[in-house]
Amino acid sequence: MLDLSSFNNLQLDAIREVGNIGTGNAATALSKLLACMIDMDVPRADLVSIYSLSEYYGDPDSVVAAVFVRSFGEFGCSLIFIQEEEDADLMVNLLLKQQFGDSVPTDLDPEMKDSALTEVGNIILSSFLNAVNMLIGTQHQISVPGVARDMLASILDVVASIFGQMGDMALVINTQLRVGASSQNEERVISGNIVMLPDPDALELLLRKLQVL
Amino acid sequence: MENTYHVGMADLVVVSAPAVLITLGLGSCIGLVIFDTTAKIAGMAHIMLPDSRGTKIIEKVGKFADTAVPTVIDELIKKGASKNRMKAKIAGGAQMFALPGVATDFLSVGVRNVKETTSMLQKSGISLVASDTGGNKGRTVEFSTTTWMLAIKTLGKGKTEI
Repeated sequence: MLDLSSFNNLQLDAIREVGNIGTGNAATALSKLLACMIDMDVPRADLVSIYSLSEYYGDPDSVVAAVFVRSFGEFGCSLIFIQEEEDADLMVNLLLKQQFGDSVPTDLDPEMKDSALTEVGNIILSSFLNAVNMLIGTQHQISVPGVARDMLASILDVVASIFGQMGDMALVINTQLRVGASSQNEERVISGNIVMLPDPDALELLLRKLQVL
Repeated sequence: MENTYHVGMADLVVVSAPAVLITLGLGSCIGLVIFDTTAKIAGMAHIMLPDSRGTKIIEKVGKFADTAVPTVIDELIKKGASKNRMKAKIAGGAQMFALPGVATDFLSVGVRNVKETTSMLQKSGISLVASDTGGNKGRTVEFSTTTWMLAIKTLGKGKTEI
């Protein structure tokens, strides 16, 4: 089993590059889906204490929307797309505009919105995963997505309990996508974080494939 | 004047009244309180995982149900509580994400947390007087040594007391 605390900068850089390639592909897919420009940040790969994960992402009590998928195969990992609730709603509206044009029904029920959000999250996360698996030459299968709207700390409990079984640190690959204004009069930027959590034994495979182990 | 204590993830805090113990955003984690209303002492733990077996070095005893329960009891006794007067309340153990048709053990850790915490309390002879567990919603909990009630806040459902 890899000791997360002994990771060196070269290894973290290599993992960051994996994040970069995954995010690039996810941004392209999202851009096609929403027919608008997408910006992305340079991804981060950080080792974070599982006890302070929610502080790492923001206010533990803040309300977020999250889409979760699990990838099976040689390179097993979990992925979460997290957004502030307001950003998630704006993103859903953008998608619905594609469907309904300017006459988006205002009385859509929450389930419909969650379904749209799940689909956006699913497309982002599967494009991310496809790129990563292609890069390292592995086969994978992806689960159906799950969605939750809740306090940030409760969502990150999932992350903490995955890594908590191995130790006290989590490796998170973290990147931000920003959806620009689709029409000229809208200036609001929509942000979202992709969080990739490789299984501890998959990390070893990843590093070996990247030739940094 | 009540002192407020924030119990972080995998932490464990034992205090004398008057005090308020708070833990934020429990997902699959468990908020456990054990208290003695006569000695006026209470302890809270934020439990993350059911059992510590297979873990070589335990940095935080509050992390696992099987280490947190006995430690809270011991700490309470050290402060003057009596084991036969102790009572317990628990909240948490939700499953935040459900992936239909996928066997995902790690997603149902909440259920196992509840089971192990309950069984540890039973083994120690502490009666579990109230609980609010399971479901798919996160909880923020607050325990007051004035009322000995555990207030639970859930998104969209407001506040309940047990």
